[in-house]
Amino acid sequence: MTVMRDTAVKALANVQVQSDENGLIPEYEVLVNLLPIKLLNAFSERIMAAAPPERKAEVEAGLVRAAYECGYHTGCGIITSDIFNDVVMPMVTEDEKDILRGAYAAFTAWGWAKSGIVQLKPGEKMIIRALDYYEADSGGEGLRGFMLRGLSQAFFDLAYAETYPDGMDTFVCHQTKGIEVGDPHGEFVVVKK
Amino acid sequence: MSQTAHIRIVTPSDNDLKKTENSLKENDNGLQGSLSLTNITNLLQFLSMSSKKGVIELSRQGDNKKGRIWFAGEELLSAVSGTLAGIEGFADLLGWEQGSFQFMPDVPFEDKKNIGLKVQHAILEAATLLDHRANEQGAASHTPTEERSHLMDLTARDSSEVLNNLLEVPGVDAVVVVGRDGFVIESAGSSNRVNTEELGASLAHAINGIEEMGSELNVNVLQDMFIEYGRAVIMCRPVGDAIAAIITPDASKLGLIRHKTKKLLVELGESF
Repeated sequence: MTVMRDTAVKALANVQVQSDENGLIPEYEVLVNLLPIKLLNAFSERIMAAAPPERKAEVEAGLVRAAYECGYHTGCGIITSDIFNDVVMPMVTEDEKDILRGAYAAFTAWGWAKSGIVQLKPGEKMIIRALDYYEADSGGEGLRGFMLRGLSQAFFDLAYAETYPDGMDTFVCHQTKGIEVGDPHGEFVVVKK
Repeated sequence: MSQTAHIRIVTPSDNDLKKTENSLKENDNGLQGSLSLTNITNLLQFLSMSSKKGVIELSRQGDNKKGRIWFAGEELLSAVSGTLAGIEGFADLLGWEQGSFQFMPDVPFEDKKNIGLKVQHAILEAATLLDHRANEQGAASHTPTEERSHLMDLTARDSSEVLNNLLEVPGVDAVVVVGRDGFVIESAGSSNRVNTEELGASLAHAINGIEEMGSELNVNVLQDMFIEYGRAVIMCRPVGDAIAAIITPDASKLGLIRHKTKKLLVELGESF
């Protein structure tokens, strides 16, 4: 037995999206919000467009970093939440590998990216394939999957680096294929930094 | 040894029989034709289903290697390919893609049988033998590793190219690569018989159960699984850390598909 994606997706997708008085949704032991993807993409593209050529790489790294910081802290909340514990953990037989499978089922269930693990070498390398993700229809030039890059790096850090919160920046994620540049899917490779 | 969930060979489809029939020329010396127009599996199935008996003489293009297959109705009596005889010789013949054949009906078989199996059974035995040989060659050329992912960096071709090659194998409708968690990693071709998204989830559940059974029975790891339904046959094989599922409309070409896809599935495994 390993984590069954369909079981996890069905259970995790069954979530209340009623926000509190601050517009935040308390779920999975963290606070999330519900905003249009276009808002994030418009922000990313505007800030990239505004950056001078010599600073575009820096801005890109900043966008990935924002997703990473969010993913690392929120991700820890998610994989230690009651719902994850109830739904995913009973199916975990391959330790971290299965937790990561559960995490990508969660990404899919919550609309972050229909994505999954293609290859995984424990503690060293992971390849993710995504059939959609926030920036898949980005109008920007080149590979633009900033959010999934950050999230994939964060979850691999949570799975294989030092225990939270000491394991930050152990791994790095590169995007190697993108729907936004005409590939049939996005591909993200996490390796040691 | 392969673990098989369910194998049942059915007769070739009308379309296959028609194609094979069209590829044959009848004259006073029997039937003859080219292996580029029909393969030995189809030819043999066609003749045995027509309750024929006699010998098929084969000549391979290039090295002019000779082969012979004796049969009587549904029974495959004997096979020879060069110096190879029996199932080994028959397996060798199945790999011939270019050359000519001639079927001579009602020629009496007076030698000692070296096969003596039903035609379908013999085809599967030969395909299994070819698989084992390929496994042995693969094992000899790879350093054993505990984790399949140690081979990650050896990928030579893109997985989509390999999937497209798999679609070129006669009888293959679609190929789907599924992660152990049921994530449909990649697919090629189309099948109106099977919903590939649902296949991913269902297959992951089935494979987990089958692998647990293999573990309980202590019969080593899963190698193959064939599932035959009324409207589709699904052949599954582990490729790296994932599972490849090949969808075909019926079981008439399973032996051929199993043989032709072997190397491609090994190559596909390097991507996952």
